[in-house]
Amino acid sequence: MSRTGEESGQLNYCFEKQQKYKRYFQRLYRQRYLFLMVLPFLVWVIVFKYIPIWGWTMAFQDYKPHFSFLEQTWVGFKYFIELFHDRQFYLVLRNTLVMSLLSLLCGYTFPIIFAIFINEIRHKFFQKTIQTISYLPHFVSWVVVAGIFTKLLAIGGPINQLLLELGLLKEPVLFMAKGEYFWGIVTVADLWKELGWNSIIFLAAIVSIDENLYEAAQMDGANRFRQIWHVTLPGIRMVVFIMLIMSIGNLINIGFERQFLLQNNLVKDYSEVLDLYALTYGIRVARYAYGTAVGIFKSVVSIILLLVANTVVKRFNDGTAVL
Amino acid sequence: MRTRRALLLSLVWIVALAGLGVCSIIGAQKPLELTMFSYDINPNYTGFEDPIGREITKRTGIKLSIEYPVGDPEERIMLMIASGEYPDLIFHKGAGKFVDAGAFIDLTSYIEQYGANIKKLYGPYLKRMRYDLNDRSIYYLGCYGVDSQIWDVSGFELQHAVVKELGYPKMETLQDFENAIKAYMKKYPTIDGRPTIGLSLLADDWRFLISVTNPAVAATGAPDDGQWYIDFETQEAVYHITRPEEKEYFRWLNHMNALGLLDPESFVQKYDQYKAKIAQGRVLALTDQRWEYEEAERALRQAGKFERTYGNYPIVLDERFKRPDLWDPGYSASWGVGISVNCKHKEEAFKFLDWMASDEAQVLVNWGLEGVNYRVENRKRVIPPAELEQKNNDPLYIKKSGVGLYVYPFPQRGDGLVDPTGNTYTTLTKDFIKERYSPVEKQVLASYGAEMWMDLYPQSSEFPLKPWGAAWQIPTPMNEDFTVPLQRCDDLCKKRIPEIVLADPSAFDRLWDNFQKELENLGIHKAEAIFTQLIQERIALWND
Repeated sequence: MSRTGEESGQLNYCFEKQQKYKRYFQRLYRQRYLFLMVLPFLVWVIVFKYIPIWGWTMAFQDYKPHFSFLEQTWVGFKYFIELFHDRQFYLVLRNTLVMSLLSLLCGYTFPIIFAIFINEIRHKFFQKTIQTISYLPHFVSWVVVAGIFTKLLAIGGPINQLLLELGLLKEPVLFMAKGEYFWGIVTVADLWKELGWNSIIFLAAIVSIDENLYEAAQMDGANRFRQIWHVTLPGIRMVVFIMLIMSIGNLINIGFERQFLLQNNLVKDYSEVLDLYALTYGIRVARYAYGTAVGIFKSVVSIILLLVANTVVKRFNDGTAVL
Repeated sequence: MRTRRALLLSLVWIVALAGLGVCSIIGAQKPLELTMFSYDINPNYTGFEDPIGREITKRTGIKLSIEYPVGDPEERIMLMIASGEYPDLIFHKGAGKFVDAGAFIDLTSYIEQYGANIKKLYGPYLKRMRYDLNDRSIYYLGCYGVDSQIWDVSGFELQHAVVKELGYPKMETLQDFENAIKAYMKKYPTIDGRPTIGLSLLADDWRFLISVTNPAVAATGAPDDGQWYIDFETQEAVYHITRPEEKEYFRWLNHMNALGLLDPESFVQKYDQYKAKIAQGRVLALTDQRWEYEEAERALRQAGKFERTYGNYPIVLDERFKRPDLWDPGYSASWGVGISVNCKHKEEAFKFLDWMASDEAQVLVNWGLEGVNYRVENRKRVIPPAELEQKNNDPLYIKKSGVGLYVYPFPQRGDGLVDPTGNTYTTLTKDFIKERYSPVEKQVLASYGAEMWMDLYPQSSEFPLKPWGAAWQIPTPMNEDFTVPLQRCDDLCKKRIPEIVLADPSAFDRLWDNFQKELENLGIHKAEAIFTQLIQERIALWND
């Protein structure tokens, strides 16, 4: 190719770029009202989500609350090194991840199945009743739920009595004292509380599926199970993926309410989670820096998990990412 | 039409403005509202709207709006310090964090200027309230009754039915205690159709300290110094769980568990489950403090099951030891109410605290309103029988009347102290305690040759003076070398002790030794050294 061709190509490129900018600003101007409408929320995000990140500097200081920023002593990665050398931290991390994976597995698959079942119920009144009953526990506080479960599982509690009557147990079992049961108990309690509530969004997605698709499937001779497999499930695929990514991003942020309320000293090795650890060894002993270091660690893990989940979903979803 | 509307509008404006003006004039006479944080929750708090609260406002022009912590008060405090948003008054249990953060004002000059009542109330103890050797400011006014008599003991509890059934056996050592539980349990495997429980412990969160570890200290004759045991000769502090004597106490618990005399749910149950079991009347023995099991016992009293309520016995590990329950630690003056730097009305706040220390206020908060809650007959304060009946049996009495609501944590005269009129400042007297005993309780006491439970215990005159007061009140520094190992050790105790008690007796020694080694590895000796220094500094501060 000749030189001129190259030059003209470059010229063309510059021109195109200019045009592009022009068009960009034109569009911007045309949509100015839309941008104005977005502005308050943008400000909100910056003020409440980005500015607080400044507080992360705390993790690198020997932070004392009554000193100003310039008076703090900088300690570098001291608290991170300490964090990664603490054996208890790994124990707590394990508990956090295991319990959150369990609740993801159960708290995600069961609501989908439940939503499909409810949708298949033809009797409207019965359907509505079940739905309402199933999401009522969501409004019960964890304090009460923990109380119910500890009483259910006590030595003289109904579960033990039932198992004894049925002859499945010879002696009552202290369920709450066995560390290896704790994860299961938390997961079941969580499932009981949130099953109905979590299924609402899937139910909404199912309802919005075009009725014609079902009719067409019926024409083709699909039975109820076939219809679920070929119409319902593909129909709610996007919602399922979005929910999955959102819950994976929050894997490490499981809070500590349930664990804190259900635990006792005998199962501490299985019940302590990251947030509680940060509270006890960060804030409670005035090591704000250490608590912040745990927080940063959590954020980094969350971001990584989110990106991984998004890529995986992209693979499954014919190359379109949800995010 | 238009002018009329304009006129009307301006009229509305004028009325509104006038209203505002009137409001602001009235507002000037409205009480000054001070905010306060209280470390301890008080379910009876009414927002200062009960008769006594209103009376205090009437006499001082001040109204308190008190915030109580939800959950762990330490965490609330740490967040308060991090944000620097302090209320006007702060009731703390450990001033260290606040003083480190510069949250309190020094009250010394205020006490000089306006503190006549405070000086009178605290007397020689004012000097104990100075912060430490380097900083002799007074940052707070100590809570708890000054020079209080101890008449009410807890100790180890046994149902009256048990001792009655067994013919009032000698109740001195753990062996006696164990024998009684064992014999009764064998005779009555069920009570009211439910399985009998021998000894039940409570390990729910911090209550672990009250019902599991503190009894080990008391049963081995040591005074309550929190997590510490302080040697009288050397004045050196050790983490009390490391004492060999206490190992024997836990060996006994382990043995009780092996015999099936210990409630298997001891380390699992929550506080409400524990109370429910006690209220069913099927727990024979406790190692608890009265304020913790009182509520459940009240249910038993209301149901008329007096033989299922508890007597208090001075049980020790063996004859070498003396129960320390009546050992008076002396006024320790390290928890209390301070005024924060953020307070805009420091002088008014201080004058309010000083008024609370006056005789007038002490009588008001303890006895209530004259002619309503008490009468004066022949210069003696008397609570009318109808009022007394309510006071003893109505759970809502405090909330409704406000009597007793504002005693703690403000400056307070101790039980048994007499005011210039010859009456006690508080309503608690020996006779008052005796009047509350049930007939069954009186019968049991008589069989043991005592009038009150405290008669069974070694008397306070038998114990030496504690030169450091109560060590659990000593403010600790926010020093990582101290707080972190201590937090770790406290957490480890909560984990290991239940495991060890529930283990097979043959494994006890091995597990206990491992536990002690773990404590050492967590750096308990470093924390001990720091605390020893704090103790010695405190003794120096109090004596100079």
